[in-house]
Amino acid sequence: GAMRSRAEVDATLRTAKLNPAELLPVAHCLSFGPQAGAGECCLLQLEPGLCAELEAGRSLVIRGEKDEQAVLCSKDKTYDMKIADTSNMLLFIPGCKTPEQLKADQASCNVIHSQIAGFSNNYWELRRCRPKLKKLRKLLMEDPYEGPDSRKDQTLTFSKYTTEDLLSLIQASEEEILHQLQVIDACKIEGFWRILEFDYEMKLLNHVTQLIDSESWSLSKVPLRTCLEELGSLEPREMIEHTLLSYGRKYIDDAGEVYFEMHEDKICRAIAQMLLQNAVKFNLSEFHEVWQQSVPEGMTTRLDQLKGLALVDKSSRPETIFLLKVEDLPEDNQERFNSLFSIREKWTEEDITPYIQDLCAEKQTVGALLTKYARSSMQNGVKVYNSRRPIS
Amino acid sequence: ASLTRSGGAGGLAQWVLVELQGEVEPRQSGELAGSLLGDLHYTHEGIPVLIVGHHILYGKVVQLEKPFAVLVKRGAGEPSPTGPHTCYTVTALIKTKLLFKTRPKPIITNVPKKV
Repeated sequence: GAMRSRAEVDATLRTAKLNPAELLPVAHCLSFGPQAGAGECCLLQLEPGLCAELEAGRSLVIRGEKDEQAVLCSKDKTYDMKIADTSNMLLFIPGCKTPEQLKADQASCNVIHSQIAGFSNNYWELRRCRPKLKKLRKLLMEDPYEGPDSRKDQTLTFSKYTTEDLLSLIQASEEEILHQLQVIDACKIEGFWRILEFDYEMKLLNHVTQLIDSESWSLSKVPLRTCLEELGSLEPREMIEHTLLSYGRKYIDDAGEVYFEMHEDKICRAIAQMLLQNAVKFNLSEFHEVWQQSVPEGMTTRLDQLKGLALVDKSSRPETIFLLKVEDLPEDNQERFNSLFSIREKWTEEDITPYIQDLCAEKQTVGALLTKYARSSMQNGVKVYNSRRPIS
Repeated sequence: ASLTRSGGAGGLAQWVLVELQGEVEPRQSGELAGSLLGDLHYTHEGIPVLIVGHHILYGKVVQLEKPFAVLVKRGAGEPSPTGPHTCYTVTALIKTKLLFKTRPKPIITNVPKKV
């Protein structure tokens, strides 16, 4: 169709009784572009930092299967996506200039024809959220690695995941996923991420701790080279090194030799898990005894090493302890609290904190969570929390 | 689904948002594509003035606290068992909007003027 001329624009100004002298000389004629009504364009409102990421050339990814709520991921953050409706009409226009741009521009034309690319009365809104990482452990637990002697590995090939697989299945950013893989001590075997089957992991740890004991090494100076030499005939070298990396802190001395400072707390905790998972509950004082006897020479067991792993029942006579792993509990806030309150009716803040700490959003405190999802009362002079609603 | 940037080298295009009250309807029933919306002027003070049909709208230029990304959907409507294959391309950024909230002033014409 014919485009409006300056003369037509001026005629409209006269009809509208507007004084051209009060206006900038350049006018835009806005018309709807060929795809404007097709609805293929939509708007995404950007949280701070995301605009800069896009301008720097980085991509954003939307992740979510059909049964999941979509999330948006940058390189290192995850956001919930929600549609926000406005009562107004939003038109998006390429090539439309602002007054500042027009004043700065010394172009000679006095009519700019701008085509409206699309319009909408809603947009995607983002809210930073916790990465949805529970699925990561679930996927890797489908086929835990049981060691090179296990015949399982030759037959099962579908339950193994590469980094790319995980990126497409987990609703989290790449950095959050890679960080979590480190946290759960996953390792890459033949290009696939694997979690070690617990018994195999304990077998490896036992080799290492027995060697430390027989060599009388200091727990803070365990040599990698000797471990590989002595244990390499029993287990794959990569697995020995993985165990040292999981249960120790790697460092290099002045001579360039690699050593590990063993994590006493983590080793004691793993051994406790090994003891506890074979019983529904343990008599607490018996457990203390067996546990201390089971850990390597020079290590001291303490109950606070078991936060988020086990719970002491102080109301039973005698007192007992049982396994309760935070990673086995629901990921959703309300479901987590429901689950905790069905296990125990009233919790002290000290007991419940390790089981809700991971729910805290950026800058949110455990106290804020308790205020929102629990009701407090006093019991024997101690503040306890219980459910806000009746638990079926 | 992935949101990839379009236009490799160089910056992302900057578009402008125009926010109007009410609905957009074509003057003639029929296609919107190609039809005119109106003329956009600015006063020397930078106030946007939009002439739409028989109305004058006065607005203001707003720098958006939270900019928008314009996403264009490609490959719509492809069902897939392994997850969504829809691809969105970030085509432009919008940091500025022209907000027209005031009631439109009608233009009263008695005699149609010939250009």
